[in-house]
Amino acid sequence: MHVVVCLKPIIDPEIPLADFRIDRESKRIIQGNANLVTNIFDENALETALQMRERAEGDIRITAISIGTSSSIDILRRALSLRADQAILINNEGMPELDTFATAKILAAALRRLAPIDLILCGREAGDWHGGQVGSFLAEELSWPCATFVSRIDIDGEHFIMRRQTDDGWEVVKCQRPAIATVTNDETNVPRIPKVRDSMMAFRKEIPIWNIMELGIDVSAVRDAHVTLQLRDMYIPEVNKRCSFIEGEVGKEKAIRLLHKLREMHII
Amino acid sequence: MQNVLAILVPRADTVGRAEKEVMGAAQRLASQLNGQWAVALIAPRACALSRQVLVCGASKVFVVDHPELVEYSADPYLKALEGVVEVAHPHVCIFAGNSIGLELAPRLAYRMKSAMVIDCTELQGVSGGHVQITKPVYGGKAETILVAHNPPVTICLRPRSFEPLNAVSETTGEVHRLTIEIEPSLRRTKVIDRIVEESSDAKLEEARIIVSGGRGLGGPEGFLLLKELAELLGGAVGASRAACDAGWAPMSWQIGQTGKKVAPDLYIAVGISGASQHLVGITRAKTIVAINTDPKAPIFKVADIGVVEDYRSVIPVLIEELKQESSA
Ligand SMILES: Cc1cc2nc3c(=O)[nH]c(=O)nc-3n(C[C@H](O)[C@H](O)[C@H](O)COP(=O)(O)OP(=O)(O)OC[C@H]3O[C@@H](n4cnc5c(N)ncnc54)[C@H](O)[C@@H]3O)c2cc1C
Ligand SMILES: Nc1ncnc2c1ncn2[C@@H]1O[C@H](COP(=O)(O)O)[C@@H](O)[C@H]1O
Repeated sequence: MHVVVCLKPIIDPEIPLADFRIDRESKRIIQGNANLVTNIFDENALETALQMRERAEGDIRITAISIGTSSSIDILRRALSLRADQAILINNEGMPELDTFATAKILAAALRRLAPIDLILCGREAGDWHGGQVGSFLAEELSWPCATFVSRIDIDGEHFIMRRQTDDGWEVVKCQRPAIATVTNDETNVPRIPKVRDSMMAFRKEIPIWNIMELGIDVSAVRDAHVTLQLRDMYIPEVNKRCSFIEGEVGKEKAIRLLHKLREMHII
Repeated sequence: MQNVLAILVPRADTVGRAEKEVMGAAQRLASQLNGQWAVALIAPRACALSRQVLVCGASKVFVVDHPELVEYSADPYLKALEGVVEVAHPHVCIFAGNSIGLELAPRLAYRMKSAMVIDCTELQGVSGGHVQITKPVYGGKAETILVAHNPPVTICLRPRSFEPLNAVSETTGEVHRLTIEIEPSLRRTKVIDRIVEESSDAKLEEARIIVSGGRGLGGPEGFLLLKELAELLGGAVGASRAACDAGWAPMSWQIGQTGKKVAPDLYIAVGISGASQHLVGITRAKTIVAINTDPKAPIFKVADIGVVEDYRSVIPVLIEELKQESSA
C-alpha cells in the first residue's frame, strides 16, 4: 500500500506577536529570524500515517511530498527521520506565490506520477494562510472520496476506517479506497520526535527534486484561470486593551478581590 | 456580482444561529450590491425547515428533499448543491464556517471554478459590484483585505463574526422544490459510528460564561476544578489546543483558530499563554480574565483583568467562596 503525505513548508506561525512583521508594500510576511517549519496539521497527518502503518499488517510505503523552495529540504529530511520511506521536493523557486488552486493542480500532477497511490493525506489547513482547500481540491481533481478532519485511519480490506471530528464529537466513517483525508489534531496524533539514529539515516537518503515544468502542466494557464482574488491590503490589527491586575499578598486574597471586582462589574 | 446564495446545511431540526449568521451576511451583502439573495436549504425534512427560513425574510428558498440526504455525507450533498447552483446562478455563495461548511465549500467551489475564502470576518459590497473580504491570516497576527473581481466567489464565514438575521413581520418569499437525481452509489463515505462528546451543561458557543484551561493546568485534574467553577457560575468549560492535544479535555472543547469561536460575557483563561491562534477564538468575549503565573504571558495583552498567580491557589478559593454564598 502506498500513502502520500503532503507537507507544506511555512514560516513558523507560532512566533510571538512581538516578533511578527509584515511588509505592507509587497503584502508579505517578513521571515526575519523565524524558522521554516512543517505546517502543524501536516505533522499530524504524517503521524496519523505512521500510526496506521504500525497497526496494519503488510507493507505500507509512505511518501512525503512538498512544493517549496530548496530551503524546504529540511522539512522533508525531518519526514525521513520520522521514517517516511521517501521524500520528494517539487521546486517552485522563482515562481510567484502559488494559490490553493495552482498548488492542487501541481500536487495532482506529481501524485499521478507517483501512482499507484491508495491514500493521500493533507492537513486540514495551512497555518499561514488558512486556505483549507488543497485537500478537497485534490479530491475533486482526482475524483476520489474524501474525509475531512480525520485523526485516525485503519485499513479494512478495500476500505479505510477513519475517525473524524465533528462539531460536537466525532464519528467513524468507512471510505472507499483510494481516498483522500484532511487531518486535524487530537490527543492521538500528536507528532512524535525523531530518534537520533533515524535522523542520521535520513541524512544519507537522496531527496529527488522535481521541476514543475517537468510535470507537464501549464502553470501560467492554471493561474490565469483562477486568479480572481486580489490581495488589496495586509496589516497587523491593533489591540489596545489595558489589563488591570489584581494585587494581593497571596492567591486567596487575589481570588476574593477578583470575585468582588466581577460582582462590581455585574458580570457574575 | 449580484446574486448571493446563502447555503444552509443545518444538522438540527431548527435553523440555528450559524444559519442565521449566513443569511444575515447574504442579505446585507446583496443589499450593498443592489442584488438579490436566496437560500439553498439542504437538509433532511428541508421543506418543513423552509418555513423558519422564510420567516427571516428570504425571498427565495431552494430546497432539495431526497432520501439520500437524510444522513449527511459530502458526496450526495454536493450533488444537491450543484443542482441548486444550476438554477440559482449565484455570484457569491456563503457557507457557515462549521465542520460541514468547511467540508462542502471548497469542493463546491472547485466544481464551480469559483475563487474561495474561508474564515471571512467581514464582507462588503464595494464599487464596481465587487466583493471585499476581510480574512485574518497567520492565526490572526495579520489581516488581509481581498477583493473578488470575477464571479463566482465562495466564502465560509468565521462563526460569531456576523450579525444573525432575525425574523421579519411579513413573509413574502417562496419555496422552490428541486428534484435532483442522487444515485445511492454517489455516496463513497459512510458513517458507521457517531459519538457526541460530553459537554458541560451550557453549549460552548452559547455560553454566557466560559472557564477555559490550557497547558498550565498541568494535568486532567485541573479540568475537574474548572468544571466545578463553571458549574457554580452557570457556565461552560473550554480548552486550548495544547490541553486538548494532551488529552485533558475533549476536542470539541477546543477554542481558537481551528476550534470553537465563542462570545461569552466573561471568559476566564486559566494557564493559557494567549497564542494568537487561541485568541482569535475569543475576540468577541466581552470581559477576559487571565490567571497565569507568568506576568509576561501575551494573554495579559488582551485581558481586561489579570491575576498573576498559580491557578491552584486561586480556583479552589473561588469555588469555596461561591459555594458558601449559595448555601448562605
Ligand atoms: C494552524 C494552527 C492552528 C491552531 N489552532 C489553535 C486553536 O484553535 N486553539 C488553541 O488554543 N491553539 C491553537 N494553536 C496552537 C497555539 O499556537 C498554541 O500552541 C496553544 O494555544 C498553546 O496552548 P496553551 O496556552 O495552553 O499552552 P502554553 O503556550 O504552553 O501556555 C501555558 C501557560 O500556562 C502558564 N502556567 C503554567 N503553570 C501555571 C500555573 N500553575 N498556574 C497558572 N498558569 C500557569 C504558563 O505561564 C503559560 O503561559 C494553533 C496553532 C497553529 C499553528
Ligand atoms: N506547498 C505545499 N506543498 C505540499 N503540500 C501542500 C502545500 N500547500 C498545501 N499543501 C497541503 O494542503 C493542505 C491544506 O493547505 P491549504 O488549503 O493551503 O490550507 C496542507 O495542510 C498540506 O497538506
